[in-house]
Amino acid sequence: MIPWQARQKLVKTVLGGLTLGFLAYQWLPTLTMALLSFTGPDGGTTFPMRGVSLYWYRELLRVQSVDDFKPPMLRSLVLALACSLTTAVLSVAAAQAMRARFRGSGTFFYLILLGVMAPGLLVGFGMALITRMLGITPSWHTTTFAVHIVWTLPFGFLTMLAVFNRFDRRLEEAALTLGASRWTAFRRITLPLVLPGVIGAALFGFTLSFDEFARSFFTTGSEQTLPLVIYAQFDRQLQPTLYALGTATTAVSLLAVGWAVALLRLIRRRVVTGAATNP
Amino acid sequence: MSTLRERSPASYALAGPAALWMLGALVAPTAFIVWVSLWATRSFSLANALTVANYTKFFARAAYVRVLGDTIQQAALMMAITGVLGYGIAYFLMVHVRSPVLRFGLFFVLVVPFWTSALIRTIAWIPFLGVGGVINQALLFLHVVDQPVEAFLYSRAGITLAQVSFYTLLTTGPIVYTLRNIPPSLREAAQCLKATPARVFWRITLPLTLPGIVIGQILVFLNVMADFATAQAIGGHKYAFLGNLVILLYESGQLPFAAVIAVLLMASMLAGVVVLLKAVDIRRLGAP
Repeated sequence: MIPWQARQKLVKTVLGGLTLGFLAYQWLPTLTMALLSFTGPDGGTTFPMRGVSLYWYRELLRVQSVDDFKPPMLRSLVLALACSLTTAVLSVAAAQAMRARFRGSGTFFYLILLGVMAPGLLVGFGMALITRMLGITPSWHTTTFAVHIVWTLPFGFLTMLAVFNRFDRRLEEAALTLGASRWTAFRRITLPLVLPGVIGAALFGFTLSFDEFARSFFTTGSEQTLPLVIYAQFDRQLQPTLYALGTATTAVSLLAVGWAVALLRLIRRRVVTGAATNP
Repeated sequence: MSTLRERSPASYALAGPAALWMLGALVAPTAFIVWVSLWATRSFSLANALTVANYTKFFARAAYVRVLGDTIQQAALMMAITGVLGYGIAYFLMVHVRSPVLRFGLFFVLVVPFWTSALIRTIAWIPFLGVGGVINQALLFLHVVDQPVEAFLYSRAGITLAQVSFYTLLTTGPIVYTLRNIPPSLREAAQCLKATPARVFWRITLPLTLPGIVIGQILVFLNVMADFATAQAIGGHKYAFLGNLVILLYESGQLPFAAVIAVLLMASMLAGVVVLLKAVDIRRLGAP
């Protein structure tokens, strides 16, 4: 029988190895793809790399006609921005409403949460059937937008609920006592304080929409979004251009995350220094 | 008191748009699938007579029933793997890592892929799995095998390898959350009373993290059941789960039959969630 102190140490080593091993396992494919996207013009889709170049990125920019990824990229960006804005506004409104504990707020909560639970495949398929019945032509800026919000809204909503849970109500009460109207108190006191949450909600709206595949698959008409184009090309033939495209879109997602984190830190610093200078 | 009065009519105006959006773009479409699954003919018309013939046709075909079985089996396998892996990672992060900065850093590196494209991450697995892929090159280099292994790409093993890398995060997250809510004093008290660490784990920590485990299991179950992209990309059209079947039938225009499979998918997901929720009272989540 091993003494329990030694066993404790063994457990820590095993779990630590497991964690680091999993992190490597999770990241290696993406990093490998990024590395292989810089292979030379004769390079293939696996190792060994043949030289180092930006050839496949230039190829990506050069290609016209069928494989041109620029219009889909633009569509996906516009769609992601629209989802980001809509998610932020609807999340704040919905979470504010929840604070007032209106009749039926319990049902409302689960209705929104249903958006996370319902798989994209079913939502997309159902939307395709309904648009067909109504005789609507599906397109990325109508039907796709509608089902993307179903997916992004719950994440923004939960973020805002968490933020309002930790919110100090006395600050609002102080403003109201001092004669501010409810709208002014919301605009000048509440909104600035929950701004980090709003940015979180907007970030969810952007990245979840930008990368969404299953929901778009059924609901986007002839003008396709980026993930659909990527999938179509992948289905035809795997080429290093796809690695370049994959690396570029991953970079867009990471930039969005990094930008949000930086903004959050900036706001926190301003709140802290603001509190210090205004006694 | 908030900027909104308790039970004020304004709250309906604020909740309205979100509620209508969810009803119109989520509830109505899924309800419509159920209706279409009962249509008697392939023609797309609301005047269709209603029948359960489509369902009997599904269960009469052994191949389709096998796909249903395969899908549930894959979900169960994934729940087991990601459950153990996710718990180990969460426990290490919250109990063994003492420095908050290091803990946050590790957690951040773990979560970031959630914000990148699952499709791209799937494609990124291809150069790993092929006959000339990274795994085979490594195995050949280490003289573990002397012939490249073909079993990775276009196989269930390859699909599982990729799915583990996508979905483990879903089990880790809720467990991290429940572990964080356990007051350290609880474990310390048990240790003062001379309980061994193993006993503390089995009698205190594990029961208190049960809600987190169940939520993680539900999330993995739902995602794997409905996952068609991983199977399509890595299985290379050789493997079909229920989701792939829906797409296949949708693209060949057999809408009522595609709807039947979608409904069965929905039903098995609901049943799974109900069973999992029976296992533990989820409302206790977060209560110490």
